[in-house]
Amino acid sequence: MKRKLLTTLLLLGLALGAFAGCRGTFSASQKAKTSDDPSVVLRIANCEEYIDLGDWGADETIELDDGTKIRGVDSMVKDYEKWYQETYGQKVRVEYSTYGTNEDLYNQMTLGNTFDLVCPSEYMIMKLMSEKRLVPLSKDFYEETKYHYYTKGVSPYIRDRLNDLRMGDERVGRYAAGYMWGTLGVVYNPEVVKDEDANHWNMFTNKAYRKRITIKDSIRDSFFGALGILNEKELKELEDKKQDPKEYEKRLDDMMNATDAKTVDQVESILTDMRENAYAMETDAGKQDLVTGKTGACLQWSGDAVFSMDQADEDGVALSYAVPEGASNLWFDGWVMMKDGIRQDKKKQQAAEAFIDFISRPDNVIRNMYYIGYTSCISGGDDPLIYDYLMYNYAADEDEKDTVDYDVSYFFRDTEGKGNYTFAVPKEQEKRQLFAQYPPEDVLERCVVMKCFDQEANQRISQMWTNIRCYRFPWEK
Amino acid sequence: MRFRRRTLSIPFVLFLLVFVVAPLAVVLLYAFTNGQGQPTAENFFAFFQSTRTIATLVYSLWIAFVTTLMCLLLAYPTAYVLARGGYRKGGVLLLLAVLPMWINFTLRITAVKELLDALEGNLAYYPFLNTIIGQVYDFLPFMILPIYNVLLSLDQKVLEAGRDLGADPGKLFWQVILPMSRPGIVSGITMVFLPAMTNYVVLDMLYNSTYIMGSLIGSYFNAYDWHNGSMISAILLLIIAFFSWLEKKAGGEISESSAARGGSLL
Repeated sequence: MKRKLLTTLLLLGLALGAFAGCRGTFSASQKAKTSDDPSVVLRIANCEEYIDLGDWGADETIELDDGTKIRGVDSMVKDYEKWYQETYGQKVRVEYSTYGTNEDLYNQMTLGNTFDLVCPSEYMIMKLMSEKRLVPLSKDFYEETKYHYYTKGVSPYIRDRLNDLRMGDERVGRYAAGYMWGTLGVVYNPEVVKDEDANHWNMFTNKAYRKRITIKDSIRDSFFGALGILNEKELKELEDKKQDPKEYEKRLDDMMNATDAKTVDQVESILTDMRENAYAMETDAGKQDLVTGKTGACLQWSGDAVFSMDQADEDGVALSYAVPEGASNLWFDGWVMMKDGIRQDKKKQQAAEAFIDFISRPDNVIRNMYYIGYTSCISGGDDPLIYDYLMYNYAADEDEKDTVDYDVSYFFRDTEGKGNYTFAVPKEQEKRQLFAQYPPEDVLERCVVMKCFDQEANQRISQMWTNIRCYRFPWEK
Repeated sequence: MRFRRRTLSIPFVLFLLVFVVAPLAVVLLYAFTNGQGQPTAENFFAFFQSTRTIATLVYSLWIAFVTTLMCLLLAYPTAYVLARGGYRKGGVLLLLAVLPMWINFTLRITAVKELLDALEGNLAYYPFLNTIIGQVYDFLPFMILPIYNVLLSLDQKVLEAGRDLGADPGKLFWQVILPMSRPGIVSGITMVFLPAMTNYVVLDMLYNSTYIMGSLIGSYFNAYDWHNGSMISAILLLIIAFFSWLEKKAGGEISESSAARGGSLL
């Protein structure tokens, strides 16, 4: 018996030793790389399918009016490595990995994965900021020089909203470079769900659509939708007497970011209703069920909504997108640099910031937007390419009869607020892809950014979420 | 060092250590500590203080029970006919029964979902029924195989003796065949009951994402609450250990030869 124990212990020790040994040699070889080999290793983690992977067919080439042709042949990451060497004269090797959700990323990083550059959503950026795990973007990054495509091209509207967002007394915009943005809304089939209903959060508890709509299997999004139902009356009142924009903004923000115990309790009962009324809580299958007609509406992010509508168009089903009245959610995903990855390595930081610039170059922005269907935070600055691409996608043909003028000036105008960007589009686009990609300014005014929950609130809301998903004994109802 | 047969087991022991023992130790470590890393048993009591977690546990057991019962009712006659029906191509028929196992089960459930939707019009109205159908579809082969193997290897002499002593076919079945197939039934039950308790994919797809033990644990990890999540895993482990012990008591050890025959099919 004793010997057995000894053998086991010995083996355990061996295994641990081997394990530690592996790690040791691994980091040693990495160190060797940085000192002998001049190349920089950049570890990037991004959401799955959130960047152009290339391989477009020749027929997919985007040909804009001014003759520019855009086509993703190689992946964006590979193109960046090439570009960086040509531009900065240094070799860079990207280790690119992906994750499913913000929480996955956070857990990965807590478990010891180290990244230099990651692309979480605004609330996760705020959480990382509060934990002091981020490196601010350098001063140099904000200089408007030749290759600083981000600073030259970011939409002033998005830049301001990022700067308005604060964690403690620090601006989110100091740490994060916006990548994609959008709203939270409802994709629906107008033949099943009335336009009027889709524009109200209470569609989700409307018995007329019992088991015909889906909600999202995502705490934050569902929580937000339920808050929209909870605050419906107050939001309506607030909107009607909208006097002082600053005051309105603040009230809206407070209401839609409430996480106190009483609110969470009320949300729990609304979400229980929502869930009871729903066909299913979907992660990805939501759009499929819409196209096949099993469901009439689902809660989605604007980028996914564009994709759903495109897919449905191919199948001959016309879906629409609505951002419910009262209040909705404006979200950003942004690039941030991790302290434990970058450390004091200036070369690495330069490569990381150059990566942000490279994917913010207008032609690359178009490649990414085409590939993933989301809307970039970049408007292009002096470069009209992105606006051209928008017109290429949505401008009405000359013989089109039913058109409206669509105004996206808020997004495309320059830093001084100059420039008129209005163009004629087919009327249906007022509630379809264009509306999802670039909602009108008045819609965005009632959109709030959902901040990160503090620890206590997070626990309360997670518990609430678990509660509504768990089985209830019949006598509990 | 002289080569011994035991040396062959080293890869497996290493595998066990790295992928079973070490993770288990981590689970237990988290289960009995709190956020500050101090040892505590609070997580254990927290589990039993919440009606939600208790209800989920009870419901998981209930779903597993119904699934197992349905599997047994379907599998026994099937296995019986396959093993003792005197078909010349019995092996081929058995193969057909276990064939679905060769396809990834998530894919199969996706297909079942479409099928049920077509049959029922809107599958959201019958979540419990659909869940049981999905579960049975998943686990049926695991019930058929062990029973089939036991029935196949029944000693003919015993049956003949039964007949000689005047037992009619009904009596022969109830008093000889059924008791003798107990090891197969017991191991079938464990192979279905335990995984059915945590098989969250089926509920995610067919029961409005209601939590079963597996997804309940996942929810805690998603909320960064590793301590309570680990505690629920540990409790689940205890329950599984209990059922495995019951199985042993009930004589579920399958004879080596029949297990090997089953193994060659998979």
